[in-house]
Amino acid sequence: MADHDELETLFAQARENRPVLPDDLVVRIETDAEAMRLQRSAPKERRQRRWLGLDRFGGWQALGGLVAASAAGVWIGIAAPGFLPDPATYIFPQDTTFLVADLSLDTGFLEDTE
Amino acid sequence: MEDLTSQPEQAHGGSAAMPAASDHVLLARFASGDAMAARMLTDRLGPRSYSVAMRMLGNRTEAEDVTQDAMMRLWQMAPDWVPGQAQVSTWLYRVTLNLCVDLRRRKRPEPIENLPDLQDGAVSVTDKIQDTARKDALQSALDQLPDRQRQAVILRHIEELSNPEIAGIMDISVEAVESLTARGKRALAAILAGRRDELGDENG
Repeated sequence: MADHDELETLFAQARENRPVLPDDLVVRIETDAEAMRLQRSAPKERRQRRWLGLDRFGGWQALGGLVAASAAGVWIGIAAPGFLPDPATYIFPQDTTFLVADLSLDTGFLEDTE
Repeated sequence: MEDLTSQPEQAHGGSAAMPAASDHVLLARFASGDAMAARMLTDRLGPRSYSVAMRMLGNRTEAEDVTQDAMMRLWQMAPDWVPGQAQVSTWLYRVTLNLCVDLRRRKRPEPIENLPDLQDGAVSVTDKIQDTARKDALQSALDQLPDRQRQAVILRHIEELSNPEIAGIMDISVEAVESLTARGKRALAAILAGRRDELGDENG
């Protein structure tokens, strides 16, 4: 019985004197948590940025400029201002008609086959 | 099973008017990137892990390393936690105890014949015995218990957990918990009685 009482006293003392979490251990634990939190969020951002290929071209601001320039180019192509020559006439002149005969090609072989 | 985390504000002296989030809610918040949740979990669960590790190992440095390791596993596991599966505290106690057992197995004392000869200035055997004597009587007795008995006694009589929760932590039946704690207490009483007899003999 005396042994039992002594044991209960020792248990009570142990409960009253539970060790306090040392400050430096708290710092270590919270540093681990923060590193884990950052590591977990970093791959997602990297994946998005890699998908867009933005890092190489200067980020989303550069992408915005590129989109605006492209839109302006398309609009000028559709509705060019009057003082600008139509670039299409340089490629497909509309006042000139080419005939196959103008090329002075020998077309005799076409007649032979008929 | 008793829900130790459902009333954390009472267990930690918080205000009853400001109900605190449960452990698994904080864990989910941490998993979604809330740094404050990690601090709250550290304040709430860190001391429990550290207290058990200290009693299991009887060594402050080792207990700190085990606690840090156990909490690290908690952070790693956070995104995969399934609410309702178990209590976070139960999971952490189990991890802490397993780490303690692993550590004790790794550092089992070498046979005397393998120990190096003592050099001048080295810690003498006498010093080691005196260090051991300085430990509190309960810790010295706990150190002599088999692992499972020591775990059950610490969780029941120092951490004051219920038998069903201890059963969940140790993955055994409630009856097995009762058996382990009863045998552990008998063994502790015998060790303490033997120690008292030794001291009585030494004092004449």
